[in-house]
Amino acid sequence: MNQNLKIKISDVPRPLRPAVAAKDEVAISGIQKQGDIPRKNERKNDEFCELDEVRGQLEETRSVMEIRINAKTKELRDQAEDLEKQIKERTGELQKKIEESENSRMALMNMLEDMEDLRRRAEEEKEKTLAIITNFTDGLMLFDSVDRLALVNSQMGLFFGVGKEDAKRIIGKKIADFGEVVGFKPLVDLLGGDLTKIARKELFISEKAVFEVSLLEISGQRNKVGVLLIVHDISREKMVERMKTEFVSIAAHQLRTPISAIKWTLRMILDGDLGPITEEQREFLEKTYKSNERMINLINDLLNVTRIEEGRHLYNIVAADMTVLVQSLIVNYADIAKQKNLALDYEGPVEIIPQVKIDVEKMKLVVSNLIENALKYTPAGGKISVSIGQKDDGVLVTVRDTGMGISAEQTDRIFTKYFRASNAVRMETEGTGLGLFIAKNIVETHGGKIWFDSREGKGTVFCFTIPSAEADSILQ
Amino acid sequence: MPVVSFWDKRYNIKRNMKKILLIEDEELIIKLLGKKLAGVGYEVALAMDGLEGIEKMKKIVPDLVLLDIVMPRMGGFEVMAEMKKDSGLAKIPVIIISNSGQPLELEKAKRLGAVDWLVKTEFDPKEVVEKISKYINRAD
Repeated sequence: MNQNLKIKISDVPRPLRPAVAAKDEVAISGIQKQGDIPRKNERKNDEFCELDEVRGQLEETRSVMEIRINAKTKELRDQAEDLEKQIKERTGELQKKIEESENSRMALMNMLEDMEDLRRRAEEEKEKTLAIITNFTDGLMLFDSVDRLALVNSQMGLFFGVGKEDAKRIIGKKIADFGEVVGFKPLVDLLGGDLTKIARKELFISEKAVFEVSLLEISGQRNKVGVLLIVHDISREKMVERMKTEFVSIAAHQLRTPISAIKWTLRMILDGDLGPITEEQREFLEKTYKSNERMINLINDLLNVTRIEEGRHLYNIVAADMTVLVQSLIVNYADIAKQKNLALDYEGPVEIIPQVKIDVEKMKLVVSNLIENALKYTPAGGKISVSIGQKDDGVLVTVRDTGMGISAEQTDRIFTKYFRASNAVRMETEGTGLGLFIAKNIVETHGGKIWFDSREGKGTVFCFTIPSAEADSILQ
Repeated sequence: MPVVSFWDKRYNIKRNMKKILLIEDEELIIKLLGKKLAGVGYEVALAMDGLEGIEKMKKIVPDLVLLDIVMPRMGGFEVMAEMKKDSGLAKIPVIIISNSGQPLELEKAKRLGAVDWLVKTEFDPKEVVEKISKYINRAD
């Protein structure tokens, strides 16, 4: 019977365990109900003890087993978790690799697209460039590295009255052989059939057709790729320039009429031709006369500038002696120098200097401008020395002063039209800023050079040269 | 107010006075120069334009002509051209007084026989008188 009870609970399948326990209960209670038989009861008590013991052992075993099971379960769970983690990691890695390859694929696709785009754009650019060249408002001719015409645009034909077919006939030819197309003849004449002289020249065909012709060398990385000939229509600019010059010229002449009337009236009043005047009246009238003279000078400057711009300011070119010209001016300015307490010296040439071919009136203007500037911008007590010498094969005139000088940052603007140095404006408010511009133009038209050296606060020296009459000057 | 002695006012003329014809359209200049010239002893006749100038010139045959260029009806250059055609007038010295003084105009005037050219803004009446005396003596 004991044998029957000694079953391990772990041997019983879990769902049946409570049933086993219940049968035990029933068996036990059945035994207790038969307790009215005492002998039998004693035996039964022993059996109970044994049963309890077994039950205790069983309980113990069960809890031990439970602990073990729990431990094992935990171990298994941990392992499973570990595995899961590894799988996750691996999956992540794979995911990443997939993404990477996807990215590479995309990049490749993009590159392909970009390439296509670039190709298309290059094509477009090419078309655009060609469209620009053919429809450009400037006339264009492109010559290859051996100076043969590679391309000519339609504007070129329009400028020179050459039809499309005629223009095509000169493709592949050198400029010297363009003569067969009559319209291009002025262009060939201007360039002398030569593309080596890279330059910019003006081509006048009629008042409505004035062109600026430029030659540009096109270079590649190392060598010459070709030459570009550009013909730019400047007829309108020329017309505006002419109108502006005419306007200034007319305005200046119109201004002269009333101004000369004022001058003459004042002079005659001052000379007493119109009756006696008081000292006070004389003083005012003298000042008015001087203002009027300034106005006359201003108008004369404006007229001189317009003449320079029209390129018609040199007329009476004669052989002359520069020393005579300069000396006469020194005499003219002696009084003014004295009034301003300035020394005005003249130093003639050591040797006999050659004659010069000049427009005497214009050359006087140059020297007077330089002397007047020196007188104006040298403080009282200073010194102005004018000297003449020889330089190379020309005559050198030097005007040196101990005046206020020109600041270094303004030196490159000193010959610019209407420019007045800031310190000059402070010292003398009157002035047109035209004197040196006029002087430079006159000197250069005579084939000479003008330059200066100056130190602010110390003084300035202006020099100019005029080629001697024997020297081949541009005037011939 | 008579500021100049007009040729027509014969009672003013002294026999030995030199006659100057001033052809100029600007009234102020006429008055000023007329007065100045009369003041230094010249007999002055006036004309307000070229046509009137030629007319007066033929009548009085002046010793010298002061001539403006830009005038109504007939300008200075035409006056000189007319003078050249008339042997009686061709030899009269002409001094141009003008507000302009362009090299091209100067050349043209010289070609037509002008002896001098004065730009009004560069000269005053006193200097005009000095110039005149270079070409004629005030009185014989």
